[in-house]
Amino acid sequence: MPSNILKPHPKAIDRRQALQTLLGVATACSAWAAPMAWAQSARPGQSEGRLVVVFLRGAYDGLSALVPHGDANYYALRPSIALAKPDGTAQTTLRLDNTFGLHPALAPLMPLWRQGVLTALPATGSPDPTRSHFDAQHQWEIGTPGKSGNAAGWMNTLAGSLAGTSADVRAISAQSIEGAENKPQAVGVGEANPQILAGSAAVQLVAKGQAATRQGAVGDERTRDAVMRLYSGQDEISKAFRAGADSRRQTAKTLSNAMSESTTSGMGSNDMNKDISREMQLANNGAGNAQGLLLDAQHLNTLMRQDRRLRLGFLSAGGWDTHANQGNALGALANNLGNLANTLVQLRREFSQTNDVVVVASEFGRTSAENGTRGTDHGHGNTMWIMGNRVNGGRVHGGWTGLGIGNLHENRDLPIHNDFRSVFAQLLRSTQGLSNANIDKLFPGFAWDKSLDSMLRT
Amino acid sequence: MYPNQTTAAALPRRNALKVIAVCAMSPGLAGSLNAYAQASNPFEKTQSTQLFEQWRAMSRVGYGPTPQLVRALQTASSPKVWTVQQIDLAYAASQVAPLMASDLSSLNAPLPDIFDAAQRERQARAAIKAVTADSAGNTNTNELLNNRNNRRMDFSEPADPLYFNRSMVQKAAAWRLGACSQPNDENPLLARMTEFWFNHLNVYSGKGAVRPFIGHYVVNVARAHALGKFEDLLLASARHPAMLYYLDQFQSVADGSPAGQGRLRGLNENYARELMELHTLGVAGGYSQNDVHETARILTGWTVGPNEANGFRFAQRLHDTGRKVLMGQYYPDGSLNSGEREGEQAIRRLARHPKTAARISLRLAQFFVSDSPAPALVSALAQTFQNSQGDIRVVLRALLESNEFWHPENKLFKTPMDFACSALTTVSSTDKLADSTDRRRLILTENYLSEAGQPLHDWQTPDGYKFDAATWLVPEALTRRADFALAITRQVSDLDFLQPYLSATTRAAIAQEKPALRAGLALASPDFQYK
Repeated sequence: MPSNILKPHPKAIDRRQALQTLLGVATACSAWAAPMAWAQSARPGQSEGRLVVVFLRGAYDGLSALVPHGDANYYALRPSIALAKPDGTAQTTLRLDNTFGLHPALAPLMPLWRQGVLTALPATGSPDPTRSHFDAQHQWEIGTPGKSGNAAGWMNTLAGSLAGTSADVRAISAQSIEGAENKPQAVGVGEANPQILAGSAAVQLVAKGQAATRQGAVGDERTRDAVMRLYSGQDEISKAFRAGADSRRQTAKTLSNAMSESTTSGMGSNDMNKDISREMQLANNGAGNAQGLLLDAQHLNTLMRQDRRLRLGFLSAGGWDTHANQGNALGALANNLGNLANTLVQLRREFSQTNDVVVVASEFGRTSAENGTRGTDHGHGNTMWIMGNRVNGGRVHGGWTGLGIGNLHENRDLPIHNDFRSVFAQLLRSTQGLSNANIDKLFPGFAWDKSLDSMLRT
Repeated sequence: MYPNQTTAAALPRRNALKVIAVCAMSPGLAGSLNAYAQASNPFEKTQSTQLFEQWRAMSRVGYGPTPQLVRALQTASSPKVWTVQQIDLAYAASQVAPLMASDLSSLNAPLPDIFDAAQRERQARAAIKAVTADSAGNTNTNELLNNRNNRRMDFSEPADPLYFNRSMVQKAAAWRLGACSQPNDENPLLARMTEFWFNHLNVYSGKGAVRPFIGHYVVNVARAHALGKFEDLLLASARHPAMLYYLDQFQSVADGSPAGQGRLRGLNENYARELMELHTLGVAGGYSQNDVHETARILTGWTVGPNEANGFRFAQRLHDTGRKVLMGQYYPDGSLNSGEREGEQAIRRLARHPKTAARISLRLAQFFVSDSPAPALVSALAQTFQNSQGDIRVVLRALLESNEFWHPENKLFKTPMDFACSALTTVSSTDKLADSTDRRRLILTENYLSEAGQPLHDWQTPDGYKFDAATWLVPEALTRRADFALAITRQVSDLDFLQPYLSATTRAAIAQEKPALRAGLALASPDFQYK
């Protein structure tokens, strides 16, 4: 119980290492212990790219988001939950081309599609066949299909590798935590400690919702001094606490300032606030599930705008596991997709510089056919979305062989035509300047997928 | 919050042992590891070892110390003896209804009444929707429904029919937080095991249909079977409306069953998969996608029974009567007609499977011993589980008597739930009136848990919460513990009984501060974050 006899458990080492690094403790077993300048800005003179991943936990139904309206099998497989063919009226699929269209709740994304900054890959995922949410998420987050043991999250590894490459070295404030070289390069908003950000590199983890804007006890000088005295030791928990107090105050100040600025300048905030207060209402009623995502995205925007050292962002939303009564144009899934669309529009406002990229993905897809309760069960391949100026958007990329039974994985699910790691490899090489050797450190054994070479503009 | 009653747990047998006076100048536990290692004769443990073991017993078998528990530990012949005694006390307590403040008791109402009230809420909401649909057909129910404050835990008035579900969720939270923080009213080990099983067989209060049944599920599934046979617990969860709704089992029927208007209904794999992946075998338990499908077929027709005392009904006409093969065995077997029995047999078989024994044993060891428990301990527990046909009491005895449970190096960092309940426990123990839990404190606690990422009964996915430090020891989140500690101790002058358990460094730091801050700082201290 006393903290001076604490030793991290071997199993917990990855996430605990994050703390140790954050606290300036050498981590001998980490390949990234010494930050290396292993990534160069992809295009000299351009802004450094920032990558935001929005992860939909629970396996969202990609066939309802990117609707294959041109495939007769789609309607045969889903008699009661298919989205109606596009006919220009409300509640029907929004036509993108002869094969695909958008769910009507994704209408806010149409302008981005037309501008050519948004693309979708309809049959991507992990080659591992697991249909367990939790295993699939774990493997996706550590970047290694089939691996179940403890490992660092790939965004954490990436954050560690980017450390020191930032051209912008900010002056260290008086309250700065120990060691500027350990300033986080990655920020996650909403989850306690997502696996994808767990590892030896320092990351910033911010609370979900309004809580992120409050400094709490450490905001009051007297109380802070008293609490800090309790945590003045050199043990792990004390260092973590001090780093947390620092980071939390900074986070809350940044977010509060941004909020008061937007309300005084009226910068599009009224609509936003209306959106967000509606989100909150939904949340209070336990209605929507991507509820809160919009506010978390707004916080992510603010934090990454204010601290240019933050190059990687992570957001997630649950509630996509639609086993029953998922609806079609209306219903629970439609509400969630609507929240997602508003979130992406919001992220686009911030992440619209040359090499910025926003990715939306899920751990796996759902069955091609509806089940016996007007929902869908756990599947395999799924649609991934990519948004950014470098994206060769306005069209679908990656493989697609339709929903004919002979073309389905195990006669039931979408196959995987493009490995999710290959998609990220393209993005990381183009917008972060990573070499294949370095990408292989994030995704051991990944293979370059030439069929995706046209996905990005050079 | 409860009538002031003394339960067996609060009356430890006096073992004619001398009460060990706790010296206020004790060095705290900082030196206890050395002391423990050097205690050559277990009957001559040093005082700091005593304190260390008392803390471990109170914080892991329950949710931390109260003056009364401290006295009980001091008068027991050893912390280990006290700990093992709790097993039978907890079992006995689980066999009778829990103490419950009268304004919370409806959470445990007969199931048909809960179904009725939930139905009335649906009708009331539908009526509002009909009135407020705008020209585009959109409804603004949310704005209407939010025009009132429902955040108070005041249940003195009967619930508005429109807010029945919400009141049931809040009552469940109020009872849970009371039960985990009032060791006089609820045996602390029983509260712990209720937490463990609820988490293992998680249901989610955010899913509409589940909401009114949350409290009933906690009391009649997790608590009632907390120290019984695992297969009985599993079957109770399988048949409870909260689980039937949560994982969609209530509507899974034989493929091609008629659904009116010429439409057909059929299978839903959700419950069948999680039953194997999470409740029993584990993801590497050797089942295939086909086994998931066959289990789903076996369980077709298991649905809610709004008029049944146990809330469960087996609908034979919606059951798939064909032959199924689950992990190499036929269902129904030769002696049976196809029906409810084959589902019960399949669930019992999964419950007794060696992979299940291993999975439950690992999770129990992680809950009570360490994030990475020794494989030898886990396999010994799994063997005990199998030898006793999944008798949880027998497994717990092996666990709490193990050297690993008492070993100082097997540390556990408190989860937000541990921290919230232990803070609430210490604070409540200072109340002059032991029969009323301050509801404002419960609201504070509930809000803290939400902010910390462990909202009560509100984890969306069936895997339940993680318990390890890797998940919860996060810089910013640590500072939120301090917020809660300071907020919940506003009217608490001192927590002197905690002093001996804090390190000298911590005690010195606290002593510097003004008295009003001291109780909060004790709870916010690094020492208090471990159990």
